Amino acid sequence: MPSSVCLRVFSQLSRDRTALAAAAPRGLLPALPASCFSTSAPRCANPAPKKKNMTAAPKRGARTLNVKKGGKGVAQDTSKRAAPGERKAMRKRIVLSNNNALEVRSLQDLDKPSALSERHEGQVRGIPEDVVDSLRAVEAFKPAQGWSLFRRPATLMRKQTMQLAQLLKDAETTDGEQRKTIRRVLVGERMSGKTTLLLQALAMAFLRDWVVINLPEAQDIVNAHTEYALLPDSHPVQYTQNTYTGNLLSQILKANERILDTMSVTTNPTLPLPLLPNATLKQLVQLGVSDTEASWPVFVALWQELTQPGRPPIMLAMDGLAHIMQDSEYLSAEAAPVHAHDLTLVRHFVDHLAGRKSLPNGGMVLAATSKSNAPASPALDFSVQVAEARQSRLENIPSWNRYKRVDERAMDVLKDVDVIKVGGLSKEEARAIIEYYAESGMLRAKVDEGFVTEKWSLAGMGNVGELERVTVRLRI
Amino acid sequence: MPPRLSPFTVARSIPYRSRVQSQCLPRPFAKPALPQFRPYSDSKDPPAADNSKRFDTKPLPHVSEEAAKTAEIMGEQGPDIGKGTPVEEAVKGDKATQEKLPKVMQDAIKAKPNNSAPKGSRSYSTTTTSMTDGGGLDLGLVDFNTPTKMPEIPGLKFEMPSLPLPKDGHLKHRYDAVIDQVTNLLMRHGQKSVAQRNMSLILQHLRTSQIPTINPARPLIPGAPPPSHLPLNPILYLTLAIDSVAPLVRIRSQRGAAGGGVALQIPVPLGQRQRRRTAVDWILNAASKKRNNKGSGKGGFAQRIAEEMVAVVEGRSGVWDRRNGVHKLGVSARANVVLPKRR
Repeated sequence: MPSSVCLRVFSQLSRDRTALAAAAPRGLLPALPASCFSTSAPRCANPAPKKKNMTAAPKRGARTLNVKKGGKGVAQDTSKRAAPGERKAMRKRIVLSNNNALEVRSLQDLDKPSALSERHEGQVRGIPEDVVDSLRAVEAFKPAQGWSLFRRPATLMRKQTMQLAQLLKDAETTDGEQRKTIRRVLVGERMSGKTTLLLQALAMAFLRDWVVINLPEAQDIVNAHTEYALLPDSHPVQYTQNTYTGNLLSQILKANERILDTMSVTTNPTLPLPLLPNATLKQLVQLGVSDTEASWPVFVALWQELTQPGRPPIMLAMDGLAHIMQDSEYLSAEAAPVHAHDLTLVRHFVDHLAGRKSLPNGGMVLAATSKSNAPASPALDFSVQVAEARQSRLENIPSWNRYKRVDERAMDVLKDVDVIKVGGLSKEEARAIIEYYAESGMLRAKVDEGFVTEKWSLAGMGNVGELERVTVRLRI
Repeated sequence: MPPRLSPFTVARSIPYRSRVQSQCLPRPFAKPALPQFRPYSDSKDPPAADNSKRFDTKPLPHVSEEAAKTAEIMGEQGPDIGKGTPVEEAVKGDKATQEKLPKVMQDAIKAKPNNSAPKGSRSYSTTTTSMTDGGGLDLGLVDFNTPTKMPEIPGLKFEMPSLPLPKDGHLKHRYDAVIDQVTNLLMRHGQKSVAQRNMSLILQHLRTSQIPTINPARPLIPGAPPPSHLPLNPILYLTLAIDSVAPLVRIRSQRGAAGGGVALQIPVPLGQRQRRRTAVDWILNAASKKRNNKGSGKGGFAQRIAEEMVAVVEGRSGVWDRRNGVHKLGVSARANVVLPKRR
C-alpha cells in the first residue's frame, strides 16, 4: 500500500531531521525527495460516484412547483432577452424626427449667406437637411437630447450662438497674411446647452463650407476600449489608436465628402500604402478608412494637406474636455498609466487648443465641458476660474493652492485659453423656444407672459435643459 | 306580443347601480325612433272598408287588423292595432312579395344585416363613462377656457379668485389623476423618481408612435377623440387605454355560501380608481410576459409598457380577453348578488 509506505518514510524523515537540526545549519539539510507527498494515489483512485438528484436549475420561464402560500403576485418576466449589441443600439439610437409633431409654418432654415448673420438672434431656426446628415455623421446629436420630439431639427439662436457666429466671421476674414485661429472652451451649468451650442457651431461651420473634424466624446478616446499601439520613433513615447482613428476618418469623410472631393493632394505624403498620382483628399482619407493600420499616417497627411495655403478653414471640436485632462486608462509597457496627452489624437487636439500650433487658413478649436459626465479635474476647474476672472477684468485673479496636487500638463495646456460661459436663456429667448414647442404641438398651453415667466423660473432662471423638461418632457 | 315600439328601450346595462346619478349617462344616447306610419286618429275604420252588409263581400281588413283578429280568435295577444304596421314587417319572410317592393325598400332590407350588431357581440353594455363634471374626457388643454372674473365686491381685502380654479392650483393634486396613479403603480422599491422618469418615457413613446388604428370589435370608451388626435395628447392616450380595458366588476368568491365546499362567486362593482388599478396591473403583467421584447436596459421597461398601451388601444392586447372573461363571469354570476330588501 503506497500510503503506509509514505507515512513510514515521513516519520523516519522527521526523526532524521530533528536529529540533524541541532548539529547542521538549515542550508545544509538534504533536499526532500519529491515522492514523499505524492498525490498520485488519490488521483489513480476511481472517480467519486456522481451525486444523484443534482439537476440543473429549472430553465427560466419553465413552470415549477411552488408551494409557497399566497404566491400570486406579479408574474415572472419570461420574455426573450435582447441579442448582443441590441441594447446598446437602442441606447445610442438617435431619432431626429417625429411624424406626429406639427410642422411649424413660420420656421426658417439657416442658409449659407446668412448663417452668421445677427438677425437670427433670439429666433428658432431650422437646420437644412444636408447639414443634418453631416452633423449626424460626426455624431453631434446626442441620444439624450430632445430631437426626437419635433418634426425636424431646429435650434434656438441664443446670445452665445451669436457670439460664436461672430468668432466664425472673424476666423474667415483675412487681415494681412495670417488668418485667425480662435480657441474657446464652452463652460456652464448642467443642461445649460453646451453640447447644443457646440452643435450649432458645427452646423454653422458646415454651412460656411469649413472642414469639420469633431471628436464626439472625449471619454471614448481615453477609456481604453479601443486598441492602441506605440508610435514608432516618437520622443517622448506616444501611442496611436488605429481603430479609433480609422473610425474618425470615416466620419470626416462622410461629413465633408463634398469639400474633400474638390481638393487634390499637393504634398508628397509618406504613407505605408500606395496612393494614386493626382489623388483627391477623399481618396487619401479612404486609404485610412480601408486599412486602419495606416489611419494615423493618413490623418497626419490629411492635416498637412488641409493646412496648405488656399484651403478652407478648419473647425476642430471636442465634447467632454475633462476626460483628456488626466491619465488615460491605457497602460504603458511598464504598466504605468499613460497620460491622455500621450495619445496622438488627444495631443493633436490639445496642441491646437493650447495655441502651440495654429491653423494657417483660419479656423476654430472648440471644446465643450460636461457637468454630468466628467471626472474631477482641478486643473480644468481652476483654469476656467482664471479665464472668467480675466474676462471680467477682475483685480484679484485666483491663484493655485500650492499644497494641492496638480496635473502640470493639463494646467500648461489650459494656461491662456478663453471661455464662453453658457448661462440661462433670457425671457425673450425662452418665449421664442416655448412658442416653437407650442407650434409643434408638443406643448398644449396658451403661451403668455405669465406662463413663460413661470416656466422660466421653474427652469432655474432659464436653464434650457430644465426648460425643456418642464414644458415638453412631461416629467410629472 | 309586447307593444312593438316601447319608449323604454334605453338599455339598462347592468342590474346594479351604485348611485342614482349613474342613470343619467352623459353620452348622447339614441332617442327611441318615432313610428313612421301613423293611422289617422279619428278614423276607426281603414279607408278600404266597404259599406256592404254582407260579411263575405267585405274586403279583407288591413294585415295587422287581420292578424289581431286571428289572434283574438286563437286567444292570443295580437299586434297593437293602435299603431300602423311597417311594410317591411308585413312582408317579412314573404319572398314573392318582397320582389314586388320598391327598389329603395328592397335595398333597405338587403342592407339590414350590415347595420345590425356584429356577430358574437353582447346584448349588454360593458362600458361606463366617468362621472366627473361634464362627463367628457380631459383633452389636456391648459388655460383655454378663460376664467370668469368675479364682480368687485366692496369690503374684500383681496379680490375674489377667478373661477374655475386652475387645475394645478392644489399642490397635492397638481398633476393628472391617472398619471399620478399610474406613476405610483409603476413604482418599485419606493423609487418614485425612477417611476416618474419611466412615466415620462412612456408618454414620450406614445407621442412619437404612429397613429393607432382602432379595432371596431374592441371599441374605446364613448366620447374618445379620433385616433389621429391621440399621439399629440399622450395623457389622453394613456387614459383612454386604461379606461377602455378597465373592468367594471371583480368576482368575489364567498366561501361556504354555495354549499358543498364550492365558493359562491359574487360580482362586486369597482370604483373608478379600483378599475384603473386593475387595468394597469393587467397591462403591466401583459407587458412583462410579452415575447420579443427589444431590450431590458434603461428605458426598456417604459418601452414595453408603452407598446402594450398602444396594443390595448389598437385592440391587439390580450388584456381585452381578460376583461371580457371577467365581465362574462360577472354576468353569469349576477344571480348571486343579494340586494338589500326594499322597505
